[in-house]
Formats: sequence, C-alpha cells, structure tokens
Amino acid sequence: MTSHQPTPPQWPRRILHWCCPPSLLESIEGDLQQQFEEDVTILGEKKARRNFVFNSLRFVHPEIILRNKFSRQLFSTMMLNNYLKVAARNMAKRKLYSFINAFGLSIGLCFCMLIYLFIEDERSFDQFHENKELIYRIEEKSFDTWLHDSDKPFRKSAWIQTALQPALKTELPEVKYATRYNSGSRGIVRYEDKVMTETLTYVDADFFKIFSFHLLLGNGEKVLQNKTDVVITPSIATKYFGSNEEAMGKTLLINEEREQSYTVVGVIEEAPANSSISFQILLPQENRPYYERNVSNWGNFNTPTFVQLNPNTNLVSFKENLYALIQKNMGDKLEKWRKEAAVPIPDDVKMLEYEFTQLPHWHLNTEISWDKVSDPKYSWILGGMAFLILAIACINYIALSLTTSASRRTEVGIRKVVGAQRNQLVYQFGFESLLLAFFSMFIAFALLFLFLPTFNDFTNKEITLNLNNLPYLSGMSFLLMLVVGLLAGSYPSFFLSHFKPVAVLKGGFTSKLKAGFTKPLVVMQFALSAFLIISSIIMFKQMNYITTKELGYDKDQLLVIPTQSGWSSEADKVVERFRQRAAQESLIVSVGGTSSSFNQGYSRYGYKINGEQKAAYVYAADPFYLPTLGIELVEGRNFDPSIASDSSAVIVNEALVRDMKWTDPLNEHLNWTEDTVGLGAQVIGVVKDYHFLSLEQSFEPMFLSMNKYHVGHLTTMLVKISSNDVPAGLERVQTLWKELNPNKPFDYTFLDEDVARQYESYQRWMSIMTFATIFAIIISCLGLFGLAGINAVNRTKEIGIRKVMGAELSSIFFLLNKQYIWLSLLAYSMAIPFSWYVMEKWLSDFTFKIEMSWTLFGLAVAGGLLIALATVSYHAIRAATINPAETLKYE
Amino acid sequence: MGKEYLGEFEELVLTMVGILQEEAYGNAIVTEMKERLGRDANLSAVHVTLYRLEDKGLVKSSMGGATNSRGGRRKRIFMITNAGLAMLRSIKESKLELWKLVPQLKIIGI
Repeated sequence: MTSHQPTPPQWPRRILHWCCPPSLLESIEGDLQQQFEEDVTILGEKKARRNFVFNSLRFVHPEIILRNKFSRQLFSTMMLNNYLKVAARNMAKRKLYSFINAFGLSIGLCFCMLIYLFIEDERSFDQFHENKELIYRIEEKSFDTWLHDSDKPFRKSAWIQTALQPALKTELPEVKYATRYNSGSRGIVRYEDKVMTETLTYVDADFFKIFSFHLLLGNGEKVLQNKTDVVITPSIATKYFGSNEEAMGKTLLINEEREQSYTVVGVIEEAPANSSISFQILLPQENRPYYERNVSNWGNFNTPTFVQLNPNTNLVSFKENLYALIQKNMGDKLEKWRKEAAVPIPDDVKMLEYEFTQLPHWHLNTEISWDKVSDPKYSWILGGMAFLILAIACINYIALSLTTSASRRTEVGIRKVVGAQRNQLVYQFGFESLLLAFFSMFIAFALLFLFLPTFNDFTNKEITLNLNNLPYLSGMSFLLMLVVGLLAGSYPSFFLSHFKPVAVLKGGFTSKLKAGFTKPLVVMQFALSAFLIISSIIMFKQMNYITTKELGYDKDQLLVIPTQSGWSSEADKVVERFRQRAAQESLIVSVGGTSSSFNQGYSRYGYKINGEQKAAYVYAADPFYLPTLGIELVEGRNFDPSIASDSSAVIVNEALVRDMKWTDPLNEHLNWTEDTVGLGAQVIGVVKDYHFLSLEQSFEPMFLSMNKYHVGHLTTMLVKISSNDVPAGLERVQTLWKELNPNKPFDYTFLDEDVARQYESYQRWMSIMTFATIFAIIISCLGLFGLAGINAVNRTKEIGIRKVMGAELSSIFFLLNKQYIWLSLLAYSMAIPFSWYVMEKWLSDFTFKIEMSWTLFGLAVAGGLLIALATVSYHAIRAATINPAETLKYE
Repeated sequence: MGKEYLGEFEELVLTMVGILQEEAYGNAIVTEMKERLGRDANLSAVHVTLYRLEDKGLVKSSMGGATNSRGGRRKRIFMITNAGLAMLRSIKESKLELWKLVPQLKIIGI
C-alpha cells in the first residue's frame, strides 16, 4: 500500500449533492467511490478519475432529480393551478398596478431586445465572407513628421501606395490574392439619354476572388481583366437597362476626369448593410484618374489595399517581408524624409511600416478611419440605457408589490394556517412575478415590432427581424424574462411570506402600510430619471447652440452644385458661363466658385517656414466667393479679377495671422509653396474667422487662393438664390444648368443642410437619449403615481379627521406631497454631480460649447419636481376633496 | 391490479437482485452483469432502474452496515420482494410457454 491514496475529483460531487435526494445520496456516492477504487487498481488513477467524472455526471438524470421532495412540490400541478388562479385574480383586481408593472417591464425588455439586435448587428459585420480569416487590410503606420504630437507620434491609415498591390502579388509568396479598393468618388454615367452621377469603385480583378459577394451574371474568373470591363449591381442595371440580363454586354459611358466607354461584363449582388465595403459600379483600378502617375510614385498614399493570404501564413515573417518591400522600393526616400523632418526622429523609430487587420475586425477598429467604422462604446452606452430602464421598471415592481402587500396579508395567513410552508409561499409569489414578466415579454415583442423602424433611423442601421435572428432573440428575451422575473420577484416574495399567521389573522395590524424599504428604491429610481432628464436637456441645448450659432458666413438659400467637369480648367469655365448667364436672372443673387464646399471634404497643406512645420487649410476661390458667402474682411481687400498678380495672392484668416505671429499681415508673404527663389504668395486680405470646419474643432489656419496650378480648379459652384421664392429660384437654376450643360447631371445640396449633416451622429444620439428619457420618465412617474395612491389610501382616515378638525384643503395637499418633494430633491442631489461629470465628458468633444450653468440644473430640477408633483397631485387632490363623512362612517 | 410489464434491463436487474441476495447493491450488480453476461452497464442506469423497481414494489431496500472502504459510506442493499419473485417466475413461465410454440428447427452445420 502506498502512502498516496488516490482521491476522485471533488467538483462532480457538488453536482451530485445538488441533484440527488438526500436519502439516496449516500449510497450513490458510496457506489461511485467504490467504482473509483476498483478502477484505480485496474485502469490506473488517471483513467479512474475520468471515469468518475463521467459516471457522476450520468446521475444528473431526470429520474433522479425528480425524486427530490423540493421538485415534487414545485411541480405539483394542483398548486400550480391555484397559483395561476390567484395571480390572475390579483391582476384583475388591481388593473392599474398590474398595468404599471407590465408596461414598465415590457418597455425595459423591449429596450434590451433592441440593444441585443444592435450588438448582434455590430458583431455580424463582414462575417459572411467565406475566407474572412485570411483576408487582411494592409495599413500604414508612419512617424508623423507633419503634425507632430508627442502623445500620438504615429499616424495610422488604410491608405497606402498604388504600387504596393502589384509588388505584393509578384514578390510575396504569402499573398494569394490582392486588390486595391478606391471607393466614393463620383462620376457621370451615361447610357443613351440617361445621364446621372453615381458612386464609382475602382478595384482589381482579384476582388471577386477574395470577397464572397455573389456574382449574379458573368464569370468571376474573367471579369475586370480587361481595361474596359465594368461590373454593376442590380440597382444600377435596372436603372439604366431595365434588368440584369438586359445590361450584359451593353456599353456604358463613364466620366471621371475623362469620358470612357465600358462594357458590362457582370452583375454582382448588392453588398448587405452589415458590410464594411460597398459598391455600385466596379471599374478596373487602372482606369482610376492619375493611375499612371500614382503607380510610379511610392511617396503617394492613395488607395486602400486588401490581400488574401495563403492558409497557415506566418504573420510575423509576413510583416518582416512587407517591411523589406518598403525598404527596397522607398528606403532612400524615407531616409530623405527623416533628414528633412522638422522634428528630430530617433534612429530606432521606423519612418514607415505596414500593419494589417483581419476582415472581421475592421468594423470595430476605431484606430483606423473607415467607412461605417463604429465605436464599441456605443454598444456600451445603449446597453447602459437599457439596463437603467429595466432597473427602474424592476424597482417599480418591487415597490408596488411591497406597498400593496396588505391585501395579500390575510391570504398569506390563511395559507400558512392551512399548512403552506414558507418556501411554498416564496414559490407562489415568485411564480406570480414570473407570470407578469412572461406577459411583459409578449408586450415587449409587440413594442419591438413597433419601434424597430424608428430605432433603425436613430442608429442608422437596417436591422430586420427574420428567421435567422428571431430564434436567438426569443431565447435571449426568455432568459432575460426569467432573470427579471426572479430578480424583481425575489424580494417581494420573501417579504410577503414572512408574515406570522397569528399576528396577521387576529387583526393586530393596522391597515397602514409600512413602506420603509420602498423609499430608497423610489429615490434611486428618481435619481436615474433625473440623470437622464438633465443629460438630455444639456444635449438639447448644445445641439441647439450648434445649429443656431453664427458661423461667420451666410449659409441660407445657398445651393452647392458640383461642376461635374473633373479637375480641369473646364470646371472654371462652367462657373464663369453660369455666372454670366445668371446675371440676367432676378431670382439668382450671386454665383461663386470654390474647390470644395463645407463638409464636402477639404485640403490641408503642410509647409515649412523658417524651419518650422506649419499647416493650413486651403480653399480655391474666385472673386465672388466672399460676397456670395457673406464673409467679412477685417483687413485688406477681396480678389480682383483685373489685377493679374492676384492669381497667386492669398487671403488668410485671423487664425493664420495668429499662427504666424504677424503684426501687419498685409505686408507679409505666405511662402506655402516653399519657393526658394521668391517670397511666396502675397497676402492681400484678412477675413474674420469663420467656421469652415465643424464646431468640434476650433478656428484653424486657413487661406483662400485663386492659384489654379497649386490650389486647384473650381470644382464646386455656390449659387445664392433669392429668399423670396426658393422653389422658383431652384427651378430657375436647374433650367439654366440644363441649358448650359446638357450633358452634365444637375446635382445639388443646400449648404445649410450640408453643415447640419456634420452633426448627424450627435443628432442621432440625442434622439436616442430623448427616446430613452421619455420612457424613463413615464415608467418612474407611473411608479410614483402608484406609490402616491397607496399613500393616500393609507391616510384616508387621517385626512378625514383632519378635515373634520378644520384643516384647509391646501394644508392637506401640502401634507401629502411634502415627502415626495423631499424624495425628489434627494434624488436630484444625487443625480446632479453624476450627470455633470458625464456631460462634461460629452461636451469635451466640442470646442464651441455651452456652459453648464446652475440655471440649467435649476431648470432641470424645477422641471422634474413639476412632473413629480403633477403625478402625485391626482391622488392628493382626490384624497383632500373627499367628504370626511364618507371615510369616517365605517369606524 | 392490471398486469405489469418489465423492460428487458429491468428484468435483468431484478434477476441480479435475486441472485445476489444480501450483497445486492449498485456496484455488485454492475460487476455481476459484467462477469456473468459480459455486459457493460452504467452505474447510474442500474441505480435509476433499482429505484424504479422499488417504486413498483418489486424490490425493497435498506441501508447496510458501515464500511471501511467507500469513504465510510453505507451501501443501500436491495432485496427482492415476494411480488418481485412472483413477477420473475411468471416471466420465466410465459417465456417458456412461448418458446414451446416456436418450431424446433434443426440447425444444420454444427
């Protein structure tokens, strides 16, 4: 015999203890132990332990579990019937309270379901690609010499060199397929008499092999091999040709920079809403404007690139190979940049290296900016709100059950006398709350159908209920219902079941209810809603501030029209022709030209002046730009078409003057082209700072220039129309455009709408917040209403006596409402610091923001108190006006 | 009382209880089945069946004396009841009756 006595693992024993009835447990454990001891001698300890676990788990068997006395009670159908009957009677008897409870719980549950769908949608992003594990996006990580920031010295971006993709395919064995992907540029598409602007996407032929988008027509091996191939989605096919089949083989004329004819060789299914890449018209990468120039220059970063690696690729060596590729192709250039950098770069820092992200992680990786990328924190915020609302609803349930317990007291007494055990009563009340939660779940589903479209609007998603997510959703909500039912039901059931039958039945209890425990609950609940109220008021004020703030230019009745002529002098002519023609129109006030309108992209140039790195935003302008936008000049003059030197001059903003520390800007030159011979561009005017960026950013250095060569052409036309008749003005502009440019589509936006679109995401979050707040207020008011009602009933006699003694109506009203005012004040004193902290964080995103003043909080407190008072007053007034003779005559 | 039926495994376990007499408990039955029939039975299956037989009144059980092995735990000893014996007997007889009705074919090639 060895000193080491083998013992079986302990944890299966706990399971046995849980599932076996005590009377059987000893012999079962003994048999298992004996079996184990035999196994040790025959099979060895390791195998014996495994057998022991296996054998023990086999005892989790319905015929064993159901032998427990406990389960026999729970599954007694006779009692279940009785519980059901009593629960139904109770609900019917107190319709209002049942409604408050069910309504609150169902809204909470509904919110949770919506959040679940939201999170599921976020997680499902890009999961439908067969090879998703092998698909990577190549990203650059480069030392940021331009806008040096010591906290974030590296810049990360998915835009890399056009020349990388061919190099990857020929030089790196790990890469199976690779494609570039340029999306978002717009071009004019023409087929017979149909002329429209569409979004174009330039890719390589490998695109169709890498991604699992289904090619409806055409050969996936061959499409886009020719430079004149085009693949379109069914919506484009229908729009131009009528049907998918009709489209095949037809010729489309597509113009971005220059017009070219393409043959439709394939129709590809539309990318779903939960895809990080989307497209309508797929064109060969080689036809991208300036492709030749870009592909030969390793210093230009202008296309995202995706690769599909061979299975079992070693990512570490892949990264090293990528770095070797950089060194080989642009090592000299990087060294040059390192030497020229305005800030010293440590030798051990790599100027540029490549990183990569696996396809399933694109969507939630906020480090790299990408279309539709989303911050996981939004899921947290939404989840938090759902939790708050559910918590408020649960509190309502607990508080109301406790305060209405008086009517159940006799029932508890009788049941106990007849022989009910305490745990039976606990089960009974638990069962009731589960039943309520079960009803709420059905209402929640109905609400879900009702709110899903609104929710999609708010969150900018396209979630639908279908056979794929419905079973999971139902399972999730069933689980949640169980948790909520048990959680909300547990305290009331223990509370209700503790009554002593003797005390209850002999009538020693007064009819007054003690609701000591419910007060903290109500305070907490009110604090939660107060938090939501304050937050949404602040968000509302901030959004209001942003949308009405004086921007420094006139954004009303201003049409923004792309000149549709690419980056060429033709664009300038389009503006010029339109201006001349429009001069005769009374409805058109003025016409100006620029490179890009606000919130439609920008250009920013970096340049060194006296060894210091500077950067400024640049807009191309013409002499009519300032008057059209109504921008104010503080010094100097506007561009003058008659002065030839103005074509290279600049007008700067005050921020740039501050940045350059000029005292007399009109005598300065801005050498932003880093001209080694001349002084640079002459400054002819200074404009007052205006918000060409969103209000999240402060005033940044900016200048306007008419320099066609360095700054660019007038790709956007701004047309100010008369405020007298906007629709007529718009129509006039359209007619003129058609007359002057019969081959160019007329696309337009209103400037004020463009500007408002910058705050779209805030607007959305504010709507969600408002939505949540309204529900939180409704639920907590319902709770308060219920409590106040009970309070009034409790004190009916007291009020009667007071009235008989001559109390005024107002004093009774005050008496009944006093405590609620205290409760809400207490709640607010808890909510204010918390919401101040949270809102401070939120507002820190904005450079231009409102002050969180005490009046703001005061307003919220007053509003909240008013709501609370209005809620409880109904009962107070009713109790106060009742005739004392009615209430006292039964005494 | 209507006629009770026993499943094949139930019948087997009941027979084992009859065979083992005072030594009829979970492990012993598993071992006995292994030795006599070469049949592997799971401990929990045997237990479940024993309890079911007890519900039907075919066996009764009592706790045995304390033991030194088994972690000091007592065994639950099962004993066949008269009803159990009667059941076994009637099963045997009815099987025999039926067997007699099967034509006794000569098996060729032994």
